[in-house]
Amino acid sequence: MVVLDTALLTTGEKSATLKVGSEPLKMKKKGHKFFPSDTKKIIEEIGKSSLIQILKEMLLIRHFEMRGEAAYQQGKVGGFYHSYMGQEAIQAGCVAAAGVNHWFTTTYRCHALALLLGTTPNEAMAELYGKTTGVAMGRGGSMHMYADRLLGGLAIVGGHVPIATGAAFTIKYLNQKNEASFCFLGDGAVVQGAVHESLNIASLWDLPCLYVIENNQWGMGTAVARAVRVDPIGENLAKAYDIKSYTLDGMDFFNCYAGFKEALKEVLTTSRPVLIEAITERFRGHSISDPGLYRSKEELAKTMDRDPIVTFKNVLIEHKILTEAEFEEMDKAQKEIILASMKFAEESPWPDPIVLEQGVMAPEDK
Amino acid sequence: MGMQNIEIREALRQAIDEEMTRDATVFIMGEEVAEYNGAYKVTKGMLAKWGSRRVIDTPIAENGFAGIAIGAAQTGLRPIVEFMSWNFSFVAADQLISNACKAYYMSGGRFKVPIVFRGPNGAAAQVSCQHSHCVEAIYGNLPGFIVIAPSNAYDAKGLLKSAIRSNNPVIFLENELDYGDKMEIPTEEYLVPIGKAKVIREGKHVTLVSYSRMLKFCKEAADELSKRGISVEIIDLRTIKPLDIATVAASVRKTHRCVLVEEGHIFAGISAELGFQIIEHCFDDLDAPLVRVCQRETPLPYSKFLEKESLPNTARIVAALNEVLA
Repeated sequence: MVVLDTALLTTGEKSATLKVGSEPLKMKKKGHKFFPSDTKKIIEEIGKSSLIQILKEMLLIRHFEMRGEAAYQQGKVGGFYHSYMGQEAIQAGCVAAAGVNHWFTTTYRCHALALLLGTTPNEAMAELYGKTTGVAMGRGGSMHMYADRLLGGLAIVGGHVPIATGAAFTIKYLNQKNEASFCFLGDGAVVQGAVHESLNIASLWDLPCLYVIENNQWGMGTAVARAVRVDPIGENLAKAYDIKSYTLDGMDFFNCYAGFKEALKEVLTTSRPVLIEAITERFRGHSISDPGLYRSKEELAKTMDRDPIVTFKNVLIEHKILTEAEFEEMDKAQKEIILASMKFAEESPWPDPIVLEQGVMAPEDK
Repeated sequence: MGMQNIEIREALRQAIDEEMTRDATVFIMGEEVAEYNGAYKVTKGMLAKWGSRRVIDTPIAENGFAGIAIGAAQTGLRPIVEFMSWNFSFVAADQLISNACKAYYMSGGRFKVPIVFRGPNGAAAQVSCQHSHCVEAIYGNLPGFIVIAPSNAYDAKGLLKSAIRSNNPVIFLENELDYGDKMEIPTEEYLVPIGKAKVIREGKHVTLVSYSRMLKFCKEAADELSKRGISVEIIDLRTIKPLDIATVAASVRKTHRCVLVEEGHIFAGISAELGFQIIEHCFDDLDAPLVRVCQRETPLPYSKFLEKESLPNTARIVAALNEVLA
């Protein structure tokens, strides 16, 4: 509980709202108005085969992160490695609710979104290995993954938010109906000036952008309450920009799905931006080099009790959509896909040094 | 061919207007570009003609609107971003440096960034330390950018049109003090290619290389030397990056002497790069060491007297020419 003690010392009377990471998520924060959702109704809406597919994708992400970390430890992967473990329900819920025909932008914690938007495990893993078969030809690495509608994988905190806003600008400029721009950012980014400028302009110009704060409680090793004055973040900030906000339980796929569905409907109907805050907590350190000493084992264990994949699985079993045995089989199959992607990455060629300086400039039209 | 005698600001306006006519994805955004008709009137009348969808006033939020324009460029549009001064681009430096010039390479060629950032660069009339910096050495240091600095209305129009059609991010540097400079240019459409320097005065005794506003002083210096029978060859770089070293090297091989003039600072400046490339290409052709005339190593001061002392001027260029000819 070292972190909480420090926070109490530095913020005095505000301590009542600082009990972050020690209670079940929905209980943690005072004043959160969580988006209401009906799990049974959503199960009927999505249907069995799609639910199974979504669980597979979440498992694929989990195995990708576990194996990616292992490859990092073996020295196969370099740079920084930011794991999405623990946050899978949010982006899986978003893509399940919205589909892939939108623009997406996210942070350096980008492996999951790339996989959800069509980057193959082979392309993503080969990118981690720095191979020519990687999704960015080995030029981007862990923090810069892409897909046809994924603008990155951008690694300056808050700096990607104007880019996502620009994608929303294009959608409005070209009058592209049924499209929106999704921008994922962390709790640590909300205090950046670029975020403020983007939210103001998006609201001023009626840009169809969904800003999704994935509040995973930590900006690297700094607890969110030591960096952001307002709490809840999304609900408070939204007022300042005259936009709607939605607070989601980021550990609950069904709540995320319902919230994203409703928020997207709002954006497409009104062409107004919205602010979403998904409350979650990452399972790993900020990056692989972070041992997470600021968080007690007990706190982490409590968070992991609400593992979004286990929660999702249990709901499906409860509703007789899945058996434990089927889950085991599915889990194994996803693991095999990731192991195969490691073999693919391992066997892929290094980029040819001859092409090192190619592709800095885009070819010009003749 | 019809001709028109127009100011640089009108040449720039025509370039934007023609490209907006040609391509519906081209638009312009920036502070005061629409209702105010442009801080320096480059966009005069454009809101009335094109409407607020394509001529867009922004809040004073350079980091935000520069990034929004980059995102728009990556998703299918061709934005022109006006910085009221290039000094304000420093507020947007993260967007230019981390996104605009890197996105294409970093994404493995998936997302190109066809965008033009334009506005006045360098010193104006006593606008002091925070409004006078020359940015070309800063942005020129970043792979992925094209850097253009025209010196006259003809090049300004033709190069801006090429810049708007480019599939890459362009740093387009104008000059506040020169917006009113007039020149006869064709009324018919034309382009000036990116990456081509121009010999604007032929000579045989010494090569003088510069770009943008400093060429005025170069011409005055050359006039002065011509009175003594010395002929100076003057090269206008026009595009700083990619650098047309071939044109410069051909001239140096002919004259064997060279002076480089740059409005910006001497340390790690454009003339430092150009000078080194001259040495790489024609060391054996040089009969004298290269000499640079640059801004003195201070933030540009306010006082008229100090400002003049700090910037390159005709007397300093004449002295440099004399030095390499000695």
